Amino acid sequence: MKKVLVILLLAVVGFYLADVFIGIGFGNDHFVKSDEIKPVKDIYLQQTVENLKVSNAVTSIVVNFRGFDTLGEVTVLFLSVTALGSILYRKRHHAGDRSVLFSASSIVTAGSKLLFPPILLLGAYVFIHGHLSPGGGFQGGVIIATGFLLMLLAYENYTVSHNALSIVESFAGITFAVIGLMGFMNGGTFLQNFLPVGTLNDLFSGGIIPIIYIAVGFKVAAELTGVIYTVLNEKGDQKNG
Amino acid sequence: MTYYEIIGGILITIGSIFLFLGGLGIYRMPDIFNRLQAGTKATTLGAMSLILGVGIMEGTWEWILKSFVIIVYIAFSNPISSHALARATYLRGHRPYIKSEDKEKMDAYREVVENDPKRKEVEV
Repeated sequence: MKKVLVILLLAVVGFYLADVFIGIGFGNDHFVKSDEIKPVKDIYLQQTVENLKVSNAVTSIVVNFRGFDTLGEVTVLFLSVTALGSILYRKRHHAGDRSVLFSASSIVTAGSKLLFPPILLLGAYVFIHGHLSPGGGFQGGVIIATGFLLMLLAYENYTVSHNALSIVESFAGITFAVIGLMGFMNGGTFLQNFLPVGTLNDLFSGGIIPIIYIAVGFKVAAELTGVIYTVLNEKGDQKNG
Repeated sequence: MTYYEIIGGILITIGSIFLFLGGLGIYRMPDIFNRLQAGTKATTLGAMSLILGVGIMEGTWEWILKSFVIIVYIAFSNPISSHALARATYLRGHRPYIKSEDKEKMDAYREVVENDPKRKEVEV
């Protein structure tokens, strides 16, 4: 009896799911076949180039057309980092806390000192040019965090200030939200563009998109550096192999 | 076809050959140290040649300068990372594989390896 009920329920759910999916029409070029209404992708691409003057369509969609969703993504990242920190964070970090099997050789320490500035520069380049070339705030932030990971791996006593990280993170988050609110002041909606858009392919173009991506880059970099630092300083169970 | 494109094409071809040989070395070599040497040396030169070829193919000074910056970065990062890998592997107790009939050929190397208490006899 129970199995029959389950099969019936599954059949009903499956029927309606199939009904919905048949109606979507996967693979068709145009969802809307009408002369007045253009398909969504055409509107996005046209608006990106003509009105926003942004050459990276992905960035314009992520930060402008669905910027509110990106704010949510940043919040999700912040919440997960906070949860991780609340589980792993210990109040006092001593110099010898980290479980290190072998200290890094002098080649690695000298090399990381040389490579650290170019990695930070590359990360900053990626998120400043987010509206012109592939990349953006999230990617640039991750690159900067890998630079800090390199330093933490090379130097056992390298420390990152938790206060500085939280200040950078909060400031970047507040910048994002304030720029979003400033859309209201110009009679628009949340996260509406209020700056001049400039010309296509210029560094200073795209209105609020570069500012938001720079804020996102700083925020992601600070959060991921905090995650790496917290996880590395957690005392491992296995000592000396 | 300009001269830039011909020179760039030749450099890209050389780079691809070296990258292919590096991949083949990683597939064919018996243990991690041999694989690291094949993977590092061949791919460092291959990537450098390929990037320089792309820079020259575009034919402007900005591109060549950019490719040189990337080449310098690869020249630092690639050997350092493989050095760290090899050192960590050695310190964790992995030792190079030696065929039992080839022991006489490994002169100075054998002294180091044979006096090592962690050495394992591995038939390859």
